[in-house]
Amino acid sequence: MESPYPSAEPEPITETPLSEPTAEQLDTYVRTRLTLAGFDLSLLPETFDAGTGVPTRAQVLTSLRSFVASTPGAISGWTPPADSPAYAQQASPPLIYPSITEAWTGKAGER
Amino acid sequence: MSRALNRRVFLASSAAVASVASGLTLQSAAPARAATGTGTGTPRVPDIDVRKAAQQDPSEATLAEAVVLMRRGKLTSATLTEAYLERIQRYDATYQAYTEVTGDAALAAARKADKGQRAGAGTAAGGLLRGIPLCVKDNYFTKGVPTRCNSYIFEDFVPDQDATAVARLKAAGGIVLGKGQMGPLATTRATLPNGTVTTVNAWTPDNPAVDPGGSSTGPACSVAGRLASSSIGTQTGGSIVLPSNQQNLTGLKPTMGRVSVHGVIPLSFTRDHAGPLARDAMDAALMLQVMAGPDAQDPRTLGLPDVPDLVRAATPVVSRGGAVRVRRATRVGVPGDFLSAQKELRGAFLDKLDAISGITLVDITYPEDWTLLTATFNAARLAERTEPFRHWLRADPAKFGVSLLSWLQGLMLSGDEWITAQRAKNHLLREVLDTLMNRCDVLLQTGPVPFDILGLPEIGFPIGFDAGGVPVGAILGGQPYEEDRLLEVVAAYQAVTDWHTRRPADPAASSKLMRAETVRPRLSAEEVAAASA
Repeated sequence: MESPYPSAEPEPITETPLSEPTAEQLDTYVRTRLTLAGFDLSLLPETFDAGTGVPTRAQVLTSLRSFVASTPGAISGWTPPADSPAYAQQASPPLIYPSITEAWTGKAGER
Repeated sequence: MSRALNRRVFLASSAAVASVASGLTLQSAAPARAATGTGTGTPRVPDIDVRKAAQQDPSEATLAEAVVLMRRGKLTSATLTEAYLERIQRYDATYQAYTEVTGDAALAAARKADKGQRAGAGTAAGGLLRGIPLCVKDNYFTKGVPTRCNSYIFEDFVPDQDATAVARLKAAGGIVLGKGQMGPLATTRATLPNGTVTTVNAWTPDNPAVDPGGSSTGPACSVAGRLASSSIGTQTGGSIVLPSNQQNLTGLKPTMGRVSVHGVIPLSFTRDHAGPLARDAMDAALMLQVMAGPDAQDPRTLGLPDVPDLVRAATPVVSRGGAVRVRRATRVGVPGDFLSAQKELRGAFLDKLDAISGITLVDITYPEDWTLLTATFNAARLAERTEPFRHWLRADPAKFGVSLLSWLQGLMLSGDEWITAQRAKNHLLREVLDTLMNRCDVLLQTGPVPFDILGLPEIGFPIGFDAGGVPVGAILGGQPYEEDRLLEVVAAYQAVTDWHTRRPADPAASSKLMRAETVRPRLSAEEVAAASA
């Protein structure tokens, strides 16, 4: 009987560099993400409001397009140093509170 | 887990449960552990020499000097409180250090403290801080007193309880003189929520363009301008040590968990720290000794190493001949880029430090991924500020004023990226502790953020003045829960220097005139996002 699952030996994955998203794509992404998060861009002014100092809709979009184009990729591009992705998975499990973990594992406060 | 640690965790948990059971959820206010001074284990402010300037003008006194003067019957809390209120009345229209002054309540508390003075001020029984007027940053809950966090979001908020740190200070006899102005939502130097600069650097009151440091700007200005004995602030990205550096103070950001942040309006959960901005190492030690310790309302404070004897640590060791040595032999790490800014001042600072007996300077080289993990990854904190503010982001984003952008940037990070950042913190921690700090006990910093990311302690302290007369400071980072080591080094340095005793001149112009004629700069939304803590 033929197995319904793929071979146990997966084909090597070749990562090809993706082209940079266009300004239009970034704009669509930002607007969609804001909407999904329940953020109503129309609540912001179209022109500068000196009273509140809150950024305009255009300022928000410009800022977020720039942020999205630069920051998430820089973070997700990092992996712990390791000989292969399988070993990288095992390295550096997440520590939300590194100092506290250091104490809870008995490594702090004993010096 | 060692047996010792098991017992430590158990004891902390038991204390937390007991305090909840007794209804004392916010009142576990005794100092966490006995401090020195007597050698008997009872907290006590040491009998220090009081400088002549402090004997002549109570507003000049350090916290410790004020306690000693009161103990000797040379000063009352009412006199001290009135002196500060008089200065606030005269100068705060220029400084704008306070957003709320609770003068009547402070005076009433001061008179009550004076009545109890014979019980023993400066001891745990009498109240380590009995009768000492303090400025509290406006993101700490204060019962019955507006807590606005300098934001339209909290403009009508009056908490029904004190933050744990505030409750501890009050229970130790501290008097809340008022709420310190701050960067909107704890982001930048203090401005109005619309970005217009408010609080000035106390050293340059005529020039609001000079950076006073943020976001604990008001607490720093209140102490530097002699409008309070001491103050408390918060730090997420340098907000205690930077204003301390800019205004000639000693600011101590403790290790994550050392001080409860229950009752502090959050900015980034994993990086919000509470700590003192004080006049010198001893004052910082006294404040932290009271603030620190487990709190059932903040599980991050439980199961941690005991609070060390901070008062002893901040007491310099001086031989009969007057020679100063550091309390324990200490290797001070100096990173390769330390002299890349303020070369002359920092060079002189290193020379002075190196001459102290027991100090050894050690050259430190950062790992190759240092900038990536400490600068680029700093953005990962932004999602943490977005989550607790969803309600207002959806209901009325204009309430964020000039600060809105970084809250929206947090929405643009995905969960997997945030996890990557938490893994990078683990990797960075090992680099710092196993690679950098295996060669030194404390490490000089060129910016506060790396140790903010890791929750490691750091202390800012004065090392001189630039050509414009603006204070310059250094930042020293330490091993987790070793605030005592930081205080030992700074106390020794302050015993051989006098930068920390210098005070700015009072504002020259009449306050009303200053307020009317001085043009206050305004920060743009983009500038706020770039500079945000």
